[in-house]
Amino acid sequence: MFSAQNLISVGIAALLTAGLYAIMSYGLAIIYGVMKVINLSHAGFLMLGAFMTLVYFQLWHLDPILGAFLNLPVFFAAGWLVYTTLVRRVITALPIASLLLLFALWLVIQNVALAIWGSDDQSIITAYTYTALPLLGFRIPLTRLLVFGIALIVLTVLHYGLGHTYIGKALRATVQDRQAALLVGIDTEKISAVAFGLGTALAAFAGSLLTLLFSFTPDFGGSFQLKSFTIIVLGGLENLAGVTVGAAILSFAESFAVLFMRASLQNVIAYALLVIALIVMPGGVAQLMTRGRS
Amino acid sequence: MRAARPAALAAIAAAILLALVPVVARGNITLLSLGFFTFLYVAQGVAWNILGGFAGYISFGYAAFFGCGAYTTALLWLGGWAPVATYPVAGIVAALFSLVVGVPTLRLAGPYFSIATIGVGEAMRILALNLDRITGGASGLNLPTVVPSKAWFYTAALVFAAVSFAVAAAVRSSRFGLGLQALRMDQEAAESLGVRTALFKNLAHVLSAFIVGACGGLYATYLQFAHPDSVFSFTESISLVLIALIGGLGTLWGPVLGAAVFYAVQDYLQTSYPTFHLLVYGVLLILILLFEPKGLAGVAGRLWRRTPLAWRA
Repeated sequence: MFSAQNLISVGIAALLTAGLYAIMSYGLAIIYGVMKVINLSHAGFLMLGAFMTLVYFQLWHLDPILGAFLNLPVFFAAGWLVYTTLVRRVITALPIASLLLLFALWLVIQNVALAIWGSDDQSIITAYTYTALPLLGFRIPLTRLLVFGIALIVLTVLHYGLGHTYIGKALRATVQDRQAALLVGIDTEKISAVAFGLGTALAAFAGSLLTLLFSFTPDFGGSFQLKSFTIIVLGGLENLAGVTVGAAILSFAESFAVLFMRASLQNVIAYALLVIALIVMPGGVAQLMTRGRS
Repeated sequence: MRAARPAALAAIAAAILLALVPVVARGNITLLSLGFFTFLYVAQGVAWNILGGFAGYISFGYAAFFGCGAYTTALLWLGGWAPVATYPVAGIVAALFSLVVGVPTLRLAGPYFSIATIGVGEAMRILALNLDRITGGASGLNLPTVVPSKAWFYTAALVFAAVSFAVAAAVRSSRFGLGLQALRMDQEAAESLGVRTALFKNLAHVLSAFIVGACGGLYATYLQFAHPDSVFSFTESISLVLIALIGGLGTLWGPVLGAAVFYAVQDYLQTSYPTFHLLVYGVLLILILLFEPKGLAGVAGRLWRRTPLAWRA
């Protein structure tokens, strides 16, 4: 069970999952960073992204990967709309108001999806769904490699965009200090709408990628949402670069835990980590490191 | 106090009237079971509101207490206890578990507490599913088939609701209740004025968990069956959140009103659209958050103020 062969294969699987986890959580981190709102509708958009990919696939035989990219503009618009019509109205109230509003939105999205598609398991089978590639003596499912590669590319583009474009810089400035950003002439209201659009688009994008790996129902998303919270809390909540660190920690913890415990208990790891991380290190792993140094 | 007295009288009068229903309509099973579930939700919604409404700590994890209570009753009942004797124990087990959850998590600021409770609730459900030797796992536990009449269950749930309401009313008018209100508005200011916030929050949590746990016990007796996916379900947790929020967060009558509407709508829609009621509540919750933070109780209050004085009793 603990042979080198086995450990390496678990390690590879964990690394590939980490890419998916990072892209899945990035939207949540952006929204939290810019407006300090915990987006409980994340799961709803993740699920809706998956179902829209199914719709594109059924209507036009559109490949799920292309579906994922088509989802980006569609859900950016949806997120923008949600922000301007709903979130903006409660953002100045208590923080719990926005959390509850987005929770209500999640309920609405989930149950509309249930009314449309029913509660049956759906899946998208493409020509390459069951293909596996030999790599370093292991056979790796092609879909996992694809998801990892795409996640890596999108994260790189995102990173570049945040670092080198005006909108990106303005967004990061708003994350760091909203008041100061306002003072130097950044339209933080617009940045918030952009951030909500971007966060929603990324959630739907991740949802599309998930269709390559898993079957899905309208209930799908809840466990991924909790995992995303775990990841951004581990990453330090306002630290966008921390998302990848959090994703890697969770993915490796889950993958290696299966060597010691029942696979059906795997999700408990994420939930336990979430609660522990919230209580012990609200500043994320980075905080622990800096504390250790000083 | 002047406003509290007619409200207390109204509550007592309503309870007495409702207690007469089984005497009049003994054979009406539909009515009695409608009453049972409504009162069970009233008891829990009112209890949840002690922490969620009075103290402002929105928990999405009360299914954990409901489930603890349900399984405590189930196991003791299978062990030969009379169901009635198990309810206080179910409450105590849930209350103890609420300390395990609350002592660390209630230190978190509001929204983070909410997220942490989702984690705790879901973790408990998965644990319960996997501890199949105790909980029966995915096949659940079948309980004894000898149960009291529907009229007995109706009355028992009514008693639970009345007790829960009385506890919430007592808390609200006490120094403890004032402390909870103060810490909801400004934790640091409350603390600087000598409110023992950590103690008060945990006390509110324990009190409401006790009631919800006992309700879980009663529910398990009624169904004669306990299953992790039903008693620990996320839907159970969010039902309580929705009841209190739709009824009126932090008000005394809000959760009562909310539970009545909640179960009536659910019962009405269940046969044709099993989960459609959640969509209705979702939309309702959005409207309430945008336009009337005090919920249905707030709407009722507005209508009351609009009523010409001469019409008021």
